[in-house]
Amino acid sequence: MISSRITNPTRKRGFFVLLADARARITSPKRERGFFVLRPSRVLAAGGWRRVSGLLCALIGIAAFAAPCTAFAAQSLAELEERAIQAAVAHVAPAVVKIETVGGLERVGQLLVGTGPTTGLVVDPEGLIISSAYNFIQRPDSILVTLADGTRLPAKLVATDHSRMLVLLSVHPSAPLAAAEAVPADQMHVGQWAIAVGRTLSADSPNVSVGIVSALDRVWGRAIQTDAKISPTNYGGPLVDISGRVFGLLVPLSPESSSTLAGVEWYDSGIGFAVPLSGVHSVLSRLAAGNDLYPGVLGIAMKAGDLMSQPAEIAVCRPHSPAAAAGLRAGDTITEINGKPVTRQAQFKQELNRHYAGDHVHLVVTRSGERREHDVELAEKIQPYEFPFAGLLPLRPLAGKPAELVVRFVYPDSPAAKAGIQAGDKVVTLAGQDVKSYEDAIERLKNREPGEKIAIGLEREGQPVTAEIELTRLPTDIPPELPAAHPPVETNGAEPAVGVIRLAAGDDASSGKDPAEEKGDEKSDDGGDKKKAVGDKPAAKGTLAYVPTAYKSDLRYGVVVWLHGSTPDKADELVARWRPLCDAHDLILVAPTAAVGGKWQTADVGKISEALDEVSKNYSVDPARVVIHGYEGGGALAYLFGFGHADTVRGVAAVGTPLPVWLSVPENDPANRLAIYSATAATDGLTVAVDAGLAKLRGMKYPVTAKKLGDEARYLSADELDELIRWIDTLDRF
Amino acid sequence: MIALVAVAWLAQFAAVRAAEVAPTGKGAASPSPGASAQATGIDAAQPKMVKIYGAGGFEGLEAYQSGFLISAEGHILTAWSYVLDTDYLTVMLADGRKLEAKLVGADPRLEIAVVKVEGQSLDHFDLARPAVADVGTRVWAVSNLFGVATGDEADSVQHGVVAAKTQLDARRGVYETPYHGPVYVLDCITNNPGAAGGALVNLKGELLGMLGKELRNSQNNIWLNYAVPLDQFATSVDDIIAGKAHAVADTPATPAMKDGQGIDLAERGVVLVPDVLERTPPYIEQVRPRTPAAEAGLKADDLVVFVGEHLVQSLQALAAEMKQLDSAGEVRLFVLRDQQLVDVVLPPAKDDAPDVKP
Repeated sequence: MISSRITNPTRKRGFFVLLADARARITSPKRERGFFVLRPSRVLAAGGWRRVSGLLCALIGIAAFAAPCTAFAAQSLAELEERAIQAAVAHVAPAVVKIETVGGLERVGQLLVGTGPTTGLVVDPEGLIISSAYNFIQRPDSILVTLADGTRLPAKLVATDHSRMLVLLSVHPSAPLAAAEAVPADQMHVGQWAIAVGRTLSADSPNVSVGIVSALDRVWGRAIQTDAKISPTNYGGPLVDISGRVFGLLVPLSPESSSTLAGVEWYDSGIGFAVPLSGVHSVLSRLAAGNDLYPGVLGIAMKAGDLMSQPAEIAVCRPHSPAAAAGLRAGDTITEINGKPVTRQAQFKQELNRHYAGDHVHLVVTRSGERREHDVELAEKIQPYEFPFAGLLPLRPLAGKPAELVVRFVYPDSPAAKAGIQAGDKVVTLAGQDVKSYEDAIERLKNREPGEKIAIGLEREGQPVTAEIELTRLPTDIPPELPAAHPPVETNGAEPAVGVIRLAAGDDASSGKDPAEEKGDEKSDDGGDKKKAVGDKPAAKGTLAYVPTAYKSDLRYGVVVWLHGSTPDKADELVARWRPLCDAHDLILVAPTAAVGGKWQTADVGKISEALDEVSKNYSVDPARVVIHGYEGGGALAYLFGFGHADTVRGVAAVGTPLPVWLSVPENDPANRLAIYSATAATDGLTVAVDAGLAKLRGMKYPVTAKKLGDEARYLSADELDELIRWIDTLDRF
Repeated sequence: MIALVAVAWLAQFAAVRAAEVAPTGKGAASPSPGASAQATGIDAAQPKMVKIYGAGGFEGLEAYQSGFLISAEGHILTAWSYVLDTDYLTVMLADGRKLEAKLVGADPRLEIAVVKVEGQSLDHFDLARPAVADVGTRVWAVSNLFGVATGDEADSVQHGVVAAKTQLDARRGVYETPYHGPVYVLDCITNNPGAAGGALVNLKGELLGMLGKELRNSQNNIWLNYAVPLDQFATSVDDIIAGKAHAVADTPATPAMKDGQGIDLAERGVVLVPDVLERTPPYIEQVRPRTPAAEAGLKADDLVVFVGEHLVQSLQALAAEMKQLDSAGEVRLFVLRDQQLVDVVLPPAKDDAPDVKP
């Protein structure tokens, strides 16, 4: 019934659940129930349950003999807790409603949407009800609310909070409803009892799950974390404290993704989230007025690196963004946000992500040692960034030669062609700033967009030439032929292993491989190169790779990570296919195999990272031409890896597979250009999904090159593969 | 052992009577009730638990499950499953004794089975003394989940509360299992291999129910943790032990489908929208004049949301509901019109009605 992607977390975590008894503290009930005489928080703070219950029993023993406190005496602490929990549920129950829907989609992406009831919480006696956006992903035609007393009312969806994944519904009750009471933020503490309440399983009473507050300020400052079991049976319901006041609204959330489905895979796993109700109250009037709320966007990208250690230095300030409008610039370092000091990027993100579009944040930045203050109104979204293009392909430099940026190829009809720029010209300035390399050029262009005019300074046969060009967007057509990529190279000194090699990465995954891989298939290369191929008898262990036998460390090599389709390749066939291409185009092939039965899993990502790291460490790699290329399931993993490793991957080439719908695609990163190549046969069902994925990527302004492969599902032909190689050869265009 | 049971009995007695009766000096002096509430409940249950080993052992099908003694002579209640489908059934008692076991009988409707080992004076749960739990009642789930306990090692104990008591609608079959009766839904991850057949007990160690198999809730696709309440199987167990084949036909006959035809809404003057989507909402496209539908006040663009008490989420669901009803009877519909729920009773078409659709 359920989509196969959602694994059963309990199977993996079953053992850990046994340990969940480690809770030791309970909260101080603010409003004492009649039967609750002792304040357990004082006692319990001192130690574990058993110890405390022993102490309590001693007290009970005394009480039993000393006074006619009989009902109390016969109850154990556990029973008192049980009754407190039941009383808390009873306290909030009138505000917990059942929600049912009619019509709507049957599946969203690959997820089969459940048709069962979900939960909502009354937040205003006039009939305002908050629920989880997850409960409405199927976009129902009609919504019905059943109140705690059984009254059924039609409901309308008033507004959605896209930051905290909540929706506001309204009903028109005949009498005022019981609205839930919020726990003030300063009264929430880790370790307090936290009871998740839903109204989905039984008509008579709410369903409950008992845990504690595990953490506050989770998911970048937006949620409370609990170990109560949170799932579709209580999404939209409240997480309450021991006196029945509401900590927050239960929603699936994930720190990594902002999709409505994110976090659902964590159901019942010991980690669940609730959006604080006190915060919801503060935006209730905006929602009630029918305004959707969105996460606030500033429009900057931080310098790449570890979020937890890097200072919040702005690498890119997006044009037309609130940041740009407020006068922020690349190179500024943010030191304070809303009065909170920022020394690491994570601190900044934590505070910024609490805010909605329309909120103002006060920033203090340092620019060249000078302190500046900016007040910025956050936006709902910014036009996606689009890489600019001048129309040039650079000649690749050789190590040890003076750094210079020489034009290898001018794209026909490009701005550069129109300005009369020719192959062989040396680019010396862009927009008035010196450039000596491709990296410099990207640096000069990363804060610009198509349509902007820039000056370009050239040297042609020793004479300075200047031109003005209007940048356009990156081409997606692949040039039919290209001139040589680099000047001739002389031989040089010691070289690492070349030919067919095995990388240390992915050592564990090699068992059960095709015996064909055992064969050393490396023959002496036909180019007459004198170097010895080291990989003559490769061990079957480790990740297969091919390094051109004519490898020279003065040159920079592109890397193609090949992720096989449903049938893993035979090593010799794979090498036979790729060797001529790698030799001719300065490419290193890395070909990991799926760890489990030829099927890729997201866990294989780590292996690919390791293999790439190893290649980068041992060989001279051109960072502009690192491509991840996959067929079928391998293509899906290629997308996953590419979008997850924007700092290393420059191209994703997927054959016979659509962009996975569950993948959350990051915004175009001006500093890290990523291009997409997709080739698919027009087979049943696939075309629609592929086109939808590509349309999404184009909408996000990724440069997308799409090819159709006829009617039969297959991999690329030799000619098509040649073209793909040319696409890789152009990834350093600018 | 007997002492422990006595303590459990006393504790239970004390709690039941606590509201009205002051405990005697002896009761209050029994080992501190707070600490023992946990220890006693578990200690009372553990000697009655058994580990069952049978068929399985290949991928995805573990060859073990849990069970518990229900008679001094060695009757054991467990889940009816493939594990019992063998001539070589072994039971490990709590004290580590390994005994051959025989399948006495099963009730496939309840998915329970009784197996028996040779024994006497065995500590056991008394099915005649049912305990019940409410939502929020704290429980122990005692089972050999994942088969981690071997020999005389005690079963694993998980704690939780009763998350919900749900009376499942047998006709509509909310859960994908032969059993459609009431269950305790548990706030405790019990849906793991080997847990089926385990005991659900309250803090005093009184049996509340038997842990169910690994199932998903078909309404929202998530894994379900549940136990079948004791009162559901007590009679059936007696019958199995008495050698009476439990009548599977006990399942209440589907109450509906009285004449097997169901209600034809078109005949009563309701024209629904065409069914074009996977979940086409059941909108009324047109109400034919001078028909029961028109007289009952149904209107074009009404959205049918309930048939009686049953939510209908699509045209297909509406059609399925109609099939269950008596073709000559009236049907109560709730329709949504201008954000109002409207209650409509739709009578059958009169034979002499002039404008009835053929």
